[in-house]
Formats: sequence, C-alpha cells, structure tokens
Amino acid sequence: MATQIIMDHNGDTRHTFDAKDAKALLEAERRFKALTGAGFTAATRTASGEPAVTRRFDPTAEETLFFPRLVGG
Amino acid sequence: MFVTRLQVANGQFRRLLAACLHLARAFRDWYLRPNAIEQRGLDLLKEWLSQEQLAQYDAHKYFDVIGCHTGRRYRIHHGNGANVVALSDAALPRTGWCFVPNDHLVAGDVMLAQKIALETDERGALAAANNFMPR
Repeated sequence: MATQIIMDHNGDTRHTFDAKDAKALLEAERRFKALTGAGFTAATRTASGEPAVTRRFDPTAEETLFFPRLVGG
Repeated sequence: MFVTRLQVANGQFRRLLAACLHLARAFRDWYLRPNAIEQRGLDLLKEWLSQEQLAQYDAHKYFDVIGCHTGRRYRIHHGNGANVVALSDAALPRTGWCFVPNDHLVAGDVMLAQKIALETDERGALAAANNFMPR
C-alpha cells in the first residue's frame, strides 16, 4: 500500500491506496496534481532515507509528503 | 425515616458526582485535543529525521541540517517561527532565518518542512525567508 501524507491543521491527513489498483492510482495522481498545483511541495524519501522533492507523480513511491508553500515569517 | 432520607440523598449525591466526572472527562478530552495534534506533527517529524538528527532533537530539542547548495550547517530549533539559525564553522549562531509554511501548522510539521526545504532547495528556502540577528 502507498500513502500520501498532507500536512494540515490536524497535523496531517493520510490517503492510503493500492498502487496496483488503476482507479486508486488515478485518484492519487489527481490528488498529487491538485496539491502541487495549489503550491504544495511533494517530497519522497530515497532508499537511504534522505528527502527528495518530486515534481512528477511517481506511481512507485511508497510514501509522498506534501507541505504548503514556504513564505518569509 | 431519617435513614431513608439519607439513602435518597446518597443516591442523588452519587448521580451528581457521576455527572461531574462525565463533564470533567469531556473537558479533559477537549483540553488535550491540541496536544494530540502537536504530538501527531512530532511523530511525523521523527519519522523523517535521520538517526543523528533524531538523537540530537531528543536530547536538545533542536537538530542540524546541511544546506544542499552551500554545505552550510543550519540548526532548526523546536518551534514554528524564527527558529532556524545558520551556524558558523565554530558552530556559533551567525544568521537567523525565518520561513514557514503559508498555512498554520503545528511545530513538528513546520520543522519538517524547513528541514526538507534546506536539504533539497536551500536557495529557494532562503529566497523566501526573512533574516534576523540570532540572540
């Protein structure tokens, strides 16, 4: 199972889906595009655990984290 | 007669006590709710920290990251604003950087977003940031 984690007011919201299910995969891709289009950054972790920003939906990613656009505080 | 009244009063007192306990539990759950959200953010942060960063955070409530472009070391303190400091070669605070997600998030989420930004797009993060003199 793959997971998309979206940072929000509740800490985060998680969407888990079966990457082998074409319909679920399409929905995950739609969510990815909607979030990145709204300014969220998508990040995954490499095999060694280091974060990597991704701008394209990766259907093989086990975990994708989304956080809102960063601004000066 | 007196004993009967005493038993009735005792029953009423127990019901009142049960109602008060119920209210107290409801208040406790409501009061603790933000803390549960804070904890959720910290759990997510800890999942993404390296072993060294996690050990540092557990010991000091801050962790260091290396900027991907300059190789400069930054210290991210626990917090959700004005909590990032660039360190000198001698590990002394040099410049403070303030950049946060443009949505109100708990500290764990903010620190994780800052870590990922510095480790993957240091220049982009600093371009959005305001700087300040660290104390």
